[in-house]
Amino acid sequence: MLQPAVMRVLRRLASTKLTLLWMLLLAGGAALSYDNPVETSIWVLIVPMLLLAINLIAAIISNRRINRRGGLLVFHIGLLSIVVLAAVGRLTHMDGRVELATGAEFSREAISELRSGPLHNGALDQVNFVQGPYTVDYRPQMMRGLTHSQVAILDLEGGWKEVVVGDDRPLVIEGYRFYTTFNKGFAPILSWLDEAGNVVETGAIHMPSYPLFDFKQSNSWTPQGREEIKFWLQLETGLTPDESWVLDGNRATGTLVVNVGGDRSELLPGQSVKMTGGSLRYERLSTWMGYKLFYDPTLHWLFMAAFITIAGLGVHFWRKISTESLGLDQSQQSDNKQTKGSMPSSSSAVM
Amino acid sequence: MTELPWLYAGITAYALASVTAVVGVGRLGVMATSPSLSVVSDSQRNNERLVLALMTASVILLVITLAERWMRIGHGPFVNLFELLISQLFSLGLVYTIAYWRIPVLRTTAVVVLPLMSVLAIWVLVLEPSDSVFPPTYHNPWLWAHVGFGKFFLAFCLVGTGLAGVILLRSSAFFSNMFRHLPDNVILDKLAWRFMLLALVFDSLMLTAGGVWAQDAWGRYWAWDALETSSFLNWLLLGGSIHARTTYNVPIRLGAILIISVFVFAFITYFGTPFYSQAAHKGVV
Repeated sequence: MLQPAVMRVLRRLASTKLTLLWMLLLAGGAALSYDNPVETSIWVLIVPMLLLAINLIAAIISNRRINRRGGLLVFHIGLLSIVVLAAVGRLTHMDGRVELATGAEFSREAISELRSGPLHNGALDQVNFVQGPYTVDYRPQMMRGLTHSQVAILDLEGGWKEVVVGDDRPLVIEGYRFYTTFNKGFAPILSWLDEAGNVVETGAIHMPSYPLFDFKQSNSWTPQGREEIKFWLQLETGLTPDESWVLDGNRATGTLVVNVGGDRSELLPGQSVKMTGGSLRYERLSTWMGYKLFYDPTLHWLFMAAFITIAGLGVHFWRKISTESLGLDQSQQSDNKQTKGSMPSSSSAVM
Repeated sequence: MTELPWLYAGITAYALASVTAVVGVGRLGVMATSPSLSVVSDSQRNNERLVLALMTASVILLVITLAERWMRIGHGPFVNLFELLISQLFSLGLVYTIAYWRIPVLRTTAVVVLPLMSVLAIWVLVLEPSDSVFPPTYHNPWLWAHVGFGKFFLAFCLVGTGLAGVILLRSSAFFSNMFRHLPDNVILDKLAWRFMLLALVFDSLMLTAGGVWAQDAWGRYWAWDALETSSFLNWLLLGGSIHARTTYNVPIRLGAILIISVFVFAFITYFGTPFYSQAAHKGVV
C-alpha cells in the first residue's frame, strides 16, 4: 500500500484535466509535425507523450475507475506500452537506402542516407544476400505496376536460395527489411585494363533511375590520378509509353558513349577504348535496384500492444452496453415485441 | 461506363428516401397537436417502411454499381475520389439502413443523416467518372482491413451525428414538435455516445491496420503524412471528447457539438485531404 503522501502526488499527476491538456499539447505537436518539416523539433511530440505517459502511469495506479475495470485498465496499460515501444523503436531503429547492381552482394558500405538510433544493436553484419535480375510491369502512360526482384539468400544448410520480393513484399533478414523502390536503373559493367591487357578493376556505373530519367542516362567516373571519364548510355528497352511494357534488364541493350577530354567513343558490350595508362572495356549491360532499408525491433510488439489495447477498449465497451440501461421507455420495448417479425416501431411514444 | 445508370438509380433512391423521411417527420410536427394520434402513428409507420425500402434499394443499386465498375476496370474502389465516394455512399448507407431497421429510436435521425448522404451523392454527380490505376502497393490484404475499419468508424460517427443533430434541432421551436415523440435528450445523448465509443474502437483498428499496411507498402508504419496526421488528430479529438464526456458533466448540447465536430473532422480527413495534399499517403504510387 502506497503512503498517503505518495498517493496524493499520484492523484495530482493523474488529473483528468491534465490528460485533456496533454492531449491538446500532443495535438499541437502532431499538427506541427505534419509532413516532417525540418524546422520542427521532435521534442514537440516527445514532451507531450512523456507528460501523457506520466499521467497514464499515475492514473493506472491511483484511479480506481481505471484500475478496477479490467477492460479500461488493459486499454490504459496498452496505450502506455505503445508510447514506450514507439520510444524504444526510435532509439533502436535503423533506416537507409541501398543500391545493388545485379550480381552484387549486400554490404554495410552499400548503405547511404543511413540513420540509426543511439541504442541500435542489430545484427547487420549477419545480413547476406545477392541481388538477382528484376522486372517491373508498366501499364500504358507509364503507370508503374508490380516489381519482381530476385534475390539469393543463404538457406539453413548454407546454400543459396532464390526468393522474389517487391512492392509490399520486403526481404526480411535478421529483422532488417529491404523494400524495393521506384529507384532502379541500368548499370554498365566496366573493367580497367593495364597496358599489358590485365584486368585491374571491374565495377558498375549506376546510371540515373530508369525510366524516370530516360532522357539523361549519363554519369562519370574519375579513376585515381586520372582524368574524369564521362559516360552516356543509349538504351534500347522496348519502352512504348502508350502501351503496356515490362522493364527487363535481360531484354535491354545499350551502347555506351565514353568521353575523355573531348575524345568520344561508342562502345558495344565487349569493346574497349584505349586511354592513358591502359584501356577501358565495356563488359556488359546490367541493372541496379534501389532498396529502402528499415529496422525496428519493436514492430511485432507494437502490433500486439495495439491489438491488446483495442481489445481492452472493446471489452470495456461491451460491459458498458450490457450492464448499463439506456433507459428507453418500457412501452417501446413491449411495442417492439408485438411487432416482432415485422419492422420494429418508433412511434410508440406518439401512440 | 456501364456502372453509371446503376449509380444514378441508387442516388435517386437516396434522394427519394431523404425527401420521404423529411416529409414524414415534418408531418409529425404538423399533426403532433392533432387529437387523432393513431392516424399519425399509422402514417408514420408506413412512412418509415417506405424510407427503409428506398434506402435498401439504394444500397443494392450501389452494390451493383461497384461490382460493375470493379469488373470493368479490374480493381476495387480504393483509388480516386469518384469511386471512394461511391464506396462510402454504399457503406454508410448499409450501416445506417441496418441501424434504422433494428433501432427504432434512430429513425427520426434520418432527417439529419439522409440529407448529409445526399450532399455526398451530389458531390459524386459533379465529379468526372474517370477510371483509376491500381498502385502496386495496394495488392495487400491489410488495405482491406484498413479501409473496412475506416468505413465502420465513419458510419458510427454518422449515426452519432444523426442523434446529435436531432438533439440540437429539437431545442428550436420550429423543430421541437417534429421530435416530440422521441425519448428525452438524456437517452439520445447516451445512445449517441455509445456509437462514438464504437467509432473509437473502429478508428483505433483503422489506424493499426493502416500502420501494418504502410509498413508493408512503404517501409514505415508512420510518417506524419497528410492523412496520417489528420487521422491521428481525429483520433485525439474523438478520444478527448469521450474522455471529457465520461469524466465531466459535459452539457448535452455541448456533447452534441463535440460529436458533430468529430464527424466533420473525419469527413475532412477522408475527403478533404486530397485537396491540400498532392499525395495523401506518401509513396502512394
